[in-house]
Amino acid sequence: MVRFKNRYVLCQVVAEEPRGRPCIEERAVGSAVKDAIARAYGDYGLACCSLAFTVKYLNAYTGTVLLRCRKDFYRLLCSALPLVRQLESRGLRCPCFLSTLHVGGTIRSCQKFLIQYNRRQLLTLLQNCTNEEERQRIRQSVLSCSLTEEPSHSGEEEEEEDEDDGTETD
Amino acid sequence: MARAEPPPATFERRVLRSAAGHHYLRVRLELPDGGARPNAAQLKQLVVAALKELHGEVGAALPVDVLTYEEKTLSAILRVVSSGFVKLWSALTLLGFYQNRRCAFRVLQTSPFLLALSGNSRELVLD
Repeated sequence: MVRFKNRYVLCQVVAEEPRGRPCIEERAVGSAVKDAIARAYGDYGLACCSLAFTVKYLNAYTGTVLLRCRKDFYRLLCSALPLVRQLESRGLRCPCFLSTLHVGGTIRSCQKFLIQYNRRQLLTLLQNCTNEEERQRIRQSVLSCSLTEEPSHSGEEEEEEDEDDGTETD
Repeated sequence: MARAEPPPATFERRVLRSAAGHHYLRVRLELPDGGARPNAAQLKQLVVAALKELHGEVGAALPVDVLTYEEKTLSAILRVVSSGFVKLWSALTLLGFYQNRRCAFRVLQTSPFLLALSGNSRELVLD
């Protein structure tokens, strides 16, 4: 009857230069968000949001971040997310911003949203492809996707997705 | 003789939770070491700095006004929007230093009405 309720905020790290990828790690994102909250809401706000604050999931390739906080203070967290301007880790600093995709009460609801969102993103990327070779590569990677049961996975991603934002020439 | 009956009296009840828009506080700043006393502008800067430390930029943007200030007794009357009353009082409580000197804010009276601050029954002397 009495339990701690959390809110899970799904956001995406958007950086212009692709060289910022190694910057994105859990501690860097967590400390950047905490700094933004401390600047905007002071000691009281920082303490409120730090009660159950963790970076639950982070995907450096797509820039997807899942943050958790208490249900009473999720509005503080959501309003401080646009104030994050850069991520710093190991001496590297890369300017970026966080855009909120979804706020859910459970990890499962955020995961369902993320799956639908990625599906739509794949379609959009396919349409925005400029040359035929990238189109072929996307088609191939989508066709080679399969539902695999991996025992070591914690069940965060149910299908394998290949990330291609059209700017990488990997 | 037919008289027009007056319409039955209707009873209407209105409850206003926080009708007053502002709250007023009478505060006194205690500086135990006898040094230079702040003037009104410095007092306001001190209050805003206290809000900024505890509540951040959002707290420092609270509309706080210093209505009166007496430099001799270091007592002032502050006015704040009702929604920021708790933030202001907590920030004043937790303020410890003014220019690296120990200080403390004592809140003597608060009221949503300014008139209530004119008399203080605690200082009433009964003969």
